[in-house]
Amino acid sequence: MAVITYRDALNQALREEMRRDPDIFLMGEEVGAYQGAYKVSRGLLEEFGEWRVRDMPIAELGFTGLGVGAAMVGLRPIVEYMTWSFALLAIDGIVNSAAKMRYMSGSQFKMPITFRGPSGAANQLAATHSQALDSWYAHVPGLKVVAPATARDAKGLLKSAIRDDDPVVFLEGELLYGSKDDVPEDEDFTLPLGVSEIKRPGRDVTVVVHSRPLHSALAAADTLEREDGISVEVIDPRTLRPMDIDTVLDSVRKTNRCVIVEEGWPVCGIGAQIVDDIQREAFDYLDAPIARVTGADAPHPYAANLEQLHFPQADLIVKAIRQVCYRD
Amino acid sequence: MQRYPAFDPPEYVDWSPDPEVMRQFRATIEADSGRRDCVERLSVERLVALYAGMVRFRLHDIFLKRWVRQGVISKAWLGTGEEATTVGPVHALDRGGEEGDIVGPMIRNAGACHEMGMSVADMFRGYLATADSPTRGRDLHIGGREYGVITPVSLVGSLAPVIAGLGLAFRLQGSKRLALTWVGDGATKTGEVHEAFNLAAVQRLPVIFIIQNNQVALGTLLDDHHAGADFSEWARVYGAACAAFDGNNVLDAHAATRWAVEKCRSGEGPVLLSAETFRMGGHATHDEAEARELFPPETFAFWGRRDPIGCYETWLLEGALDLSTGEPVAPGSAVESNRAVLAEAEAAVTAEIESAAEEALASRTDMPAAESAVEGVYGEWPDTSNPGPAPFY
Repeated sequence: MAVITYRDALNQALREEMRRDPDIFLMGEEVGAYQGAYKVSRGLLEEFGEWRVRDMPIAELGFTGLGVGAAMVGLRPIVEYMTWSFALLAIDGIVNSAAKMRYMSGSQFKMPITFRGPSGAANQLAATHSQALDSWYAHVPGLKVVAPATARDAKGLLKSAIRDDDPVVFLEGELLYGSKDDVPEDEDFTLPLGVSEIKRPGRDVTVVVHSRPLHSALAAADTLEREDGISVEVIDPRTLRPMDIDTVLDSVRKTNRCVIVEEGWPVCGIGAQIVDDIQREAFDYLDAPIARVTGADAPHPYAANLEQLHFPQADLIVKAIRQVCYRD
Repeated sequence: MQRYPAFDPPEYVDWSPDPEVMRQFRATIEADSGRRDCVERLSVERLVALYAGMVRFRLHDIFLKRWVRQGVISKAWLGTGEEATTVGPVHALDRGGEEGDIVGPMIRNAGACHEMGMSVADMFRGYLATADSPTRGRDLHIGGREYGVITPVSLVGSLAPVIAGLGLAFRLQGSKRLALTWVGDGATKTGEVHEAFNLAAVQRLPVIFIIQNNQVALGTLLDDHHAGADFSEWARVYGAACAAFDGNNVLDAHAATRWAVEKCRSGEGPVLLSAETFRMGGHATHDEAEARELFPPETFAFWGRRDPIGCYETWLLEGALDLSTGEPVAPGSAVESNRAVLAEAEAAVTAEIESAAEEALASRTDMPAAESAVEGVYGEWPDTSNPGPAPFY
């Protein structure tokens, strides 16, 4: 184990996988000589050369198609987007080409491709560069969607995503790159897709949260334990599709209360799907309506104070937990 | 070839060679010494195979049209009049299956599937959506991995970067293979196509793009969506090699593509080829009347005289090669023996298509099972409590 950043954990995952399998290559804007807009690909060009670390022009849709084509003849492309907000230009390639290729070809072609890059708000980059579009991708049959919140999860899950034979949308937290965590250095360390993790055990209320808001939720849990004596169980699904909902259901059956937190907008969000699963499978266990804490239902403002308010901060989560515990 | 008045465009029904058109046909081949040499070196087998390939494509279309009339299928997208642009290039490739070159056909290049080796029966099954169709009934855009045909992405323009990606993979794998796709004049208006041209050019990928200008994008005339230069000029701005060929002249199409293939194999790809041709029907079988209203009758008459099969057949019949012996002869002195060779080829293809249609129709007893609709969405579903895609409720 070593304490390293989320950025370096991703870099380790890329490096280890590219060493393991020569069919893996990385492509995207500035991934080579510039070493990544967020320096995730530091040193990879030097080690693997220009054919396995391919700089691409500003043509997200085009180079997504390039990746899809390469995956059809046995390579395992990793496509980096400068941000997932910019990948909106590529969504046709992700949804119409990558996600459907196996199905529409009658399973003749597999699609082992990983689409990755930073997602969510950063520091004052405004509305077109701050979006958390997790639910857009999780909506699509044929895609797997992963959103790690810690360096350890980032490494273990990226390795699994790269090894997966299906297209994986891998959403990195743009403000998580510098966050640190204990990360196994073992090359064989992976974390399976589709498995939730209980990040903090608790008795009184279940919080389901992924990506950067996990850290808000953990802070909220500390506050509530200290100030209210409320024991909060925090669950990170980590994989949004397929989501390991049983871990959530087991927790809700125990705590009888639930708050769901996400960075994205509220309407048709990831939390809306989880509410649906809970009401169907654990309705009789609920002692209170489920609460959701989301990003504000508006584009992201530039002003720092407004941007803060847009994000599901710990105080909002505290408030929601008190509400479902009838302690507000 | 035999004409089918109930299904052929009217211009083809009583088709006979127009001396001026045939003069142009011959002049086109003579115009470029490289292409002329290429054509002169073609074997009898190749010459006949090009003919058979176009006849196969035409009959494929005619059988589909018949099925539409009979209500067997609802509609079909045909390549009638554009056979040469598909068949000539495909015959220039290494058709070595999984280890050979790869094509990404648009639906109007259906002939690429059978000329790459897929069975016409499977192509028909694709339309019928039987359980044993190449896509298991998921799509009528079919591919065949083992024949080097990728399953097309049906959105126009989307194939271009995918094909460039195949080229990138071949470069990475150190292989000499190449990939080829066609881009309709309509698709040239998508940003994706230009991104693909640039991506291929800047990375020098072994890819051939053929701009197939059939003068119309569904129901939009070329002049209404294209104000730029001749398509043959486009490649220059991307820094790629380029050439134009006559889209209704299978020999020109074949020779131009041979040249492009050599460029790609020697690391001088990509190549942009452009072909002028004409869609002799509707966008699909449902709007043939609209297509007739869209263009003046003279346009259909002009292109009708340039039926790629009729012109090529005439060239072979009147040519300086006896197809039955492979020996050079005085031009026009082996018409009858050549006619017999071509008739034999046509009869074999006709029998092939008839039996393919029968086979495919027989497959209709086995339509896709309900549960198959949610199978194959993923390769491997993670070992998780989530059961995955639910069957129909």
